[in-house]
Amino acid sequence: MKLRRDAAALDPEIERELEALEAALAGKPVDPDLSDLAELASDLRGIRPSPRPQFAAELDSAAAAGFGGRRSGRLSGFAGRLGAIPPRRALLGAGAAAFAAIVIATTVVSIGGSRTERQAPSGTNTVAAAPSETVAPGTSNAPRRAPFDAQSGSSASASTGQATNSGAAAFEDRIGPRPAPSGPFASKHSRRAVERSAQLVLGTDPEGVRPASDRVFATVGRYQGIVLSSSIRDGGSGEAGADFSLLIPSDRLSPALTDLSAIGEVRSRQESAEDITAPTVPVGERLRDARAEVEGLLKQLANADTDSERAAVEAQLRFQRQRVATLRASRNGLRRRAHFSRVSVQLLTGDASSFPASGDDRWTIDDALGDAGRILAVAAGVILVGLAVLAPIALIALLVWLGRRAWVRTGRERALES
Amino acid sequence: MDPHPGRSRGVSQTLVAPAKEMPADADLAFERLYRSSRDDVYAYVAGLLRDRSTAEDVTAAAFERAYRKRSRFDPDRGSPRAWVFGIARNAALDELRKRGRHFELAAEPPDSRAVVAQEAEERERSLALRDALDRLARRDREMISMKFFAGLSNAEIAAALRISETNAGTRLHRAVAKLREVLDEAP
Repeated sequence: MKLRRDAAALDPEIERELEALEAALAGKPVDPDLSDLAELASDLRGIRPSPRPQFAAELDSAAAAGFGGRRSGRLSGFAGRLGAIPPRRALLGAGAAAFAAIVIATTVVSIGGSRTERQAPSGTNTVAAAPSETVAPGTSNAPRRAPFDAQSGSSASASTGQATNSGAAAFEDRIGPRPAPSGPFASKHSRRAVERSAQLVLGTDPEGVRPASDRVFATVGRYQGIVLSSSIRDGGSGEAGADFSLLIPSDRLSPALTDLSAIGEVRSRQESAEDITAPTVPVGERLRDARAEVEGLLKQLANADTDSERAAVEAQLRFQRQRVATLRASRNGLRRRAHFSRVSVQLLTGDASSFPASGDDRWTIDDALGDAGRILAVAAGVILVGLAVLAPIALIALLVWLGRRAWVRTGRERALES
Repeated sequence: MDPHPGRSRGVSQTLVAPAKEMPADADLAFERLYRSSRDDVYAYVAGLLRDRSTAEDVTAAAFERAYRKRSRFDPDRGSPRAWVFGIARNAALDELRKRGRHFELAAEPPDSRAVVAQEAEERERSLALRDALDRLARRDREMISMKFFAGLSNAEIAAALRISETNAGTRLHRAVAKLREVLDEAP
């Protein structure tokens, strides 16, 4: 309740009369010329209304009871308690409630986002085995697979690692080729071209690098695969190791990976698949067109009468044959990508903790920073959306409150105008 | 020599007073405010409304409202007395609004006990004064009630009405002048 300061001072005569009134009320003498004013003040004090004793007693009782008995109903009591909250405390409470709402909303959104990320199709199949897991030679160490793993046909052993498998290609990898679509909208191409690849990191002793490498070669040979490159290093623990770049027929990839996984301790295993049907189909169609073009040109060449006509057709024929060769190479490349899967095998020695075996799965400072950034971004988004929703409502509520307050004040002042 | 001669020895228990039975400072302050201003608030409300029954209701409602809002009192914005009179004023004006602008409350009958004790001349002056007050505008009657019935200082009146002290003095002087005019015009 800040008072408005009046720059103008009171008129001296008015001030003198007011002082006389104050003096009269205090029982002090006043100037003789203002005695009637003092008498008026005294008379007014004399007719001062006094409360009835009964009312005063009732009010005293109500005051002693905290005025609790005068309100009725839980709702009015709650409204009273709510209205009695100091504005600063109310603001603090509202702020705390808003903060809690933001935290809850952020948590819900973050958890929802994480689930969505985990469920998003990535087209990869990643399996990371526990570093302490060791495998006896000749036993299968394939990580636990889904019960519908019909393609590999291998018995799955227990794995304490985590597996993420999603996407159409990974689905195909698990349950075999996708069934051919049927019906009026079914494609003519019942077999889809899928390029697969896998990365396998195995751990072994320094002395076991050579035997393990031999078993890799033997496995590749058994599945009629191709060793594109190999590198074998001798030395102590951590230095010795081997790297292999392999091509394995795609239809035998799963059993081959199972056998390769049995060679050593599986540090990590990643599989990915990419559907390359889209680029394969137009290449085949263009190749057929080009071949038809060549046949047509050969007929034209046979019917050519003049040398110049023959030369022109031969030039077109050379161009089309070159085109056929290019398209055939392209088609063969795509077929090779579909028929052969690229497999990378890494043999490592030494302490498992020093390997980047499950590096993608470990939670690092970078991951923490990324998570923190994402959470902050989500929180900022929640705040922004909240403000976008609440700000207009708060503005309208403020305007309504101000309007009602002004209306009540005006009404009260008007009530005095009579 | 004991470096801490005043320190107690062998104390194994600490007695704690039952603090929950002690009223809070705000409650004590409100009780003092109520005791000191109960009659003044009633006198102001009754002087403004000119109806004893309504004045009692409004006074009770004002104190109840003040009690509920006691923790919201800000000493920087005026004295507790001015604060409770501001609440009482709002309650009284709300009552006037509720009853309608043209509805005039019945004038309060003179207090028979006081009248009997007065001399005839004083009784006549008292009746004339009450009659003059009834004929005053509410705004002027409010100023008279605040100053002479409730005994508020000009600063407290200014705080209760949310105006400056100079303005409060001017309004009070005008109300007194009007009252004197009405008294002079009386037959």
